[in-house]
Parts: sequence; structure tokens; C-alpha cells
Amino acid sequence: MSHHLIRAAILTGFAMFIVYLDRSGEMVLYIAPRMELYVKLSALGLYAAAIYQIYAALQKRMGKQALACDCEHEPSPSILKNVLIYGLFVFPLVLGFLVPTGTLGSALASKKGMSLSGSAGIERKESIALPAPEPKSDEDSANSASPPSNDGGKDTESSIDALFPYDEYTETHAAYGKKLYEQPLISVPEIQFIETLTTLDLYREAFIGKEIEITGFVYREEDMGKERLAVSRFAMNCCSADALPYGLMINWPKALDYVDDEWVTVKGTLTTSTYMDNEIITLDAIKIERVKAPESPYVYPDLNFG
Amino acid sequence: MLKFLFRFGTPLLGAGCLIMLALIVTEREWPSQLFNAANLQSFKILFISIILEAFPFILLGVLFSALLQVFVTDELIQKFTPKNPIAGVLFGALLGILFPLCECGMIPVVRRLIRKGMPAYIGIVYLLAGPIVNPIVYVSTFTAFRTKPELAYSRMGLAFVIAVIVGLLLYKFMKRSPLKATPSQHMAHHGHAHSHDHGSHSSGFKGRVASILSHASDEFFEMGKYLIFGALLTAVIQSVIDRSTLAAFADQPVFSYVFMMGFAFILSICSTSDAFIASSFSGMFDSGPLLAFLVFGPMIDLKNTLMLLTTFRVKFVLVLIALTAALTFVGAWITEVLL
Repeated sequence: MSHHLIRAAILTGFAMFIVYLDRSGEMVLYIAPRMELYVKLSALGLYAAAIYQIYAALQKRMGKQALACDCEHEPSPSILKNVLIYGLFVFPLVLGFLVPTGTLGSALASKKGMSLSGSAGIERKESIALPAPEPKSDEDSANSASPPSNDGGKDTESSIDALFPYDEYTETHAAYGKKLYEQPLISVPEIQFIETLTTLDLYREAFIGKEIEITGFVYREEDMGKERLAVSRFAMNCCSADALPYGLMINWPKALDYVDDEWVTVKGTLTTSTYMDNEIITLDAIKIERVKAPESPYVYPDLNFG
Repeated sequence: MLKFLFRFGTPLLGAGCLIMLALIVTEREWPSQLFNAANLQSFKILFISIILEAFPFILLGVLFSALLQVFVTDELIQKFTPKNPIAGVLFGALLGILFPLCECGMIPVVRRLIRKGMPAYIGIVYLLAGPIVNPIVYVSTFTAFRTKPELAYSRMGLAFVIAVIVGLLLYKFMKRSPLKATPSQHMAHHGHAHSHDHGSHSSGFKGRVASILSHASDEFFEMGKYLIFGALLTAVIQSVIDRSTLAAFADQPVFSYVFMMGFAFILSICSTSDAFIASSFSGMFDSGPLLAFLVFGPMIDLKNTLMLLTTFRVKFVLVLIALTAALTFVGAWITEVLL
């Protein structure tokens, strides 16, 4: 009988844990929004099973053998073994309820390997990239507030098209790139975070000199030195076990002022730099601001993109 | 050695958990630098998120298995399973299209099917092919590898071929039932009126619902302990081991395959989302090792090996892992050369 009651308690515990995560808004830390519904439904299943276990315990107490099922799952008679097994079930519950929850940050990002050039799934092919951007007259004089396309309507539709060559796989990125190109300030959004970074990386020649704004946590590697940091986000597909960090390198003379995992918004102009023998897109920061961590620290790949 | 491992493995693990519990309760710091606060935090989030993500699928699996137990008779399953071994193996390999379950939900269902008289080799084929050859996984792979659609096709194809080969080999060489012997199974050999059929005997709706819940919740605990332990190991490994040090293997032709398969084994993520992880490696690895990752991971991984051990004999599980690994390695290599 006690087995049934212990099981009922554990099942209820898990169901309540799911409800607690939902109520406290912590669910987003663990599970992507598109999975949330299924997890909540499983809480219902857990409750149903818990109720059954209580029912079975009562049946047993009243002397009835509740559905004499001894086909395969009789609990072990050893007390020690049972304590250990139930301990295994209680462990995540204790961890979940009692240990305060933080978010994923630099520590895990360095383990998982930061991507500083957008999605690796879309490869930058040198053959489709432009040889070099046309020299822009106003580019050297002002490195802020004047995107290269402002020089008196010289950029006709066709010259913009020429900046965004595409093949069958990068068509959406090219179209999205053109849209971004028209904006005076490109702010990297939460909804299409990876897609935006990938587009910037893919068509970096077109975007060099543009103003970009990005929000994320501060991430650092030893090789970055004192004047660089990366602003990054974790991208999650289903659960945080599959979350991967994506970031953008920032040049800022006083980079050391910002500690790891601090949330910042950076505004700067796009350029390129060399890091670990790779040429990557980089922001020359104009302004860095400390901000409050957003409600969901993650970004999600936009499955409707393209 | 193995006997020792399985005799004392679970209790030792449990002891480890109790030590962790004690550390948490007393709010003690971890002994070494490896387990600092940040790593503990990542561990917690990864551990719980893997469990939460697997819950719906494992519940679906045990529910489906309980429904099979209560509503589908052994005769029906035997009638629907093809007698011809080749047809049977093909049937098993394509069953995933009709019943797309992922690997956590798969094991209770397959065990139930085998106990109810489906030939074991067909059950194993479903177990291997099911988590890959199904529409949901196809779509997610296709989305993750938009620029390399051939990878999605070859994933489906290779998984199908490997499952069929394993199935035929098992048909030829497997003499004993791969399931662990249980007291009731022993009984089943002698008389057919045994406790297994109690579900269908209990009359009325209430009896059946109770029977379903009873089976499902017992099975949940049986599978759950391995799921939680698998999630624990996976989370520890992910939050402690540095991926870039492992990626040094990327340049070596043979090691890159072995590495990606080992990596898939350790990660133990669901087959619906592993394609996105694989695509994050596509800058570093060629299609061959990526394919090995995509095919081997859903068939065999740390979490489901532990779950397989609840159901199948140890020797059988080891042979199955070795066979699948070897076939994946060769298959992915050949595909890489052909593409």
C-alpha cells in the first residue's frame, strides 16, 4: 500500500511542478513555447495516474486486491533499493522547487561553442558573395547616422538587387536583406534573431557601415582580449538541452567594464574583423547601455522564415 | 564485471543522488571548480528541461502501450503481423509512418507488442526505424537543413536500410527471446490462463479504465527511473564537457564519424529536434558524419540504452548497439562517397 501512496505523491509532485512552472512563468526557461501545451497536458496525465494510485491504495486497504496485476512490475522487496529509486524521482523535484532558478549564460555558452557568424546551416559561399562593395562617397566621412544608401537616390532598384545575389536556398535571406537595407537603423529583433544575424553575415558587404542595434548577454573568451566582447542569446528549438548560443562580436575600448552575463544593448556600425583566423562580422560600438534581462532569455528560430 | 555493474549500478547512482540532495539541502558548495555555481545552474536547467520535454512522449508511450494491453488481443496482433520475414521487416520499418512515436515512448510499446506475440525481430525493426522514418522527423530535418535537402532524404533512406538489415540478421540468428525473463513470462510458456489477460477479463468500462491507468502508471515508474537517470548523466556531461575540445576530431576522417555518433549517444535529445543541433555543426563537419549523427542518435542513445536495459537482456542490447553502430558507420560513409 505504501508503494501506491509514495507513487501518488511523486506523480502529484511532478504535476504540481509543471503547474508551478507555468504559474511562475519559469516554463520559458526550460521549454520552447511550441512544446508548452504538451507539457501542460502531461500534467493532466500525471494527475490522473496519481488519483489512480490513491484509489489502488484504498482498495488494498479495504482488503481488495486491486486488479491483481503482477505481470511485470512488482516493486522490489529491498527497502534500500526502493529508497534509492524513489530518491531518483524526488531529486529533480527538490532541485526544481528548492534551488533558485537562474538562466543559461556564459558558462554554458563556452561549453556549447559560440557561433559568431549566424546559422551554420546557411553557408556563405564566396561565389555568390560580391567581390567588393561599391565605394561610397560618404562612408569614410561619417561612420554614424548615414547609411550608404542615402546618397541622393542613386541606388536604383537594380543596384540594390545586385547587392543581394541569391541562390535557391538564400532567396528568403536576400529578400529579408533588402528589407533591412532600407532601414536607417537595423535593430536585431527577438523573433528573427538568428535569421537577422545570418542575413547580416551573408550580405556583409552590403551592410558594412550600417548602424545595428542588438541586445543580449555579455559573453567573453580569453582570445578576445580587453577591447572586445560578444553580445549573445541562446536559441532554443524544443528544450534547453538543445539551446545553442549565437552572438555578435563588439569592439569597445572599455569592454572590461562589462562583466560576463550582464544584459546590454549595443548600438554600433557594422564592420568585419578577424577572430581565431576567421573573418567575422563585428560592431564598432557607439553606445553600450545596461538593460534589464528580458522575460525570456531565449530566442527561437522562426520556422516560418523561408 | 557486467554483472557487478548491473547489480550495483542503480544503487550506486541512487547514492550519488542522495549525496547531491544532501549538498543541496545543506547549501554546501561543490568540492571542485568543475561544479561551480554557474555549472550547477546550467545543470539544473538542462536536467529538468530534458525530463519535461520527455514527459509528454513517455506518457503517450505508456498510455498507448496500456491501451494495446487492454483493448487489443494477442490474436489480432498476430493476425496483422506479416508471416513472411521480409514482409514483416518492411512492415516494422514503415510502422513509424502510421504511429510516429519518438524513442522515449517507443520502448514500452515495442515490449508490449513483443509480449503480445509480434515476432521480436519485427519489434526491434520498429524500435530502430520508428523514431526516424516518420513524417514529423522528416519535416524537422528538412527544415533544419534547408540548404542540404539531400541530407533529409538520405537520413530517411539510411535509417530504413539499417533497420531492415538488423531485422533480417536478427531473424536469421536470434534464437531466444530478447526480452528479460519475468515470472509471468515463465508462466506464459506453461499455461495460457495467466495474469496477463486480466485487463480484458475485468468487465465493464470502469474496470478497463482502471486497468489502463494501472498499467500506464506502473510502466511510467519503470521507464521513468531510467529517463531521469539518463537525463542526469546527459545534463552533467553537457554542462561540464567543453564541446570545442571534442571538436578537435573534426578533421580526422574516421574520428569525425565516431565522434558524431558518440556525441549523439551522449546528447540523447529527441529525434524531432536533433536535426537543429546537427545543423549547427554543418560548418565544421561534412555530410557523412552529420548523417551518422542523425541516424545513430535516435536509434541508440544514452537515455534509451538505459531504458532498453529494463526490457531486453544485457547481451542482446550490447549486440544491438554494436550492430547498429557498425552499420551506421559504414552506411554513412558510403552515402558520403555517393553524394
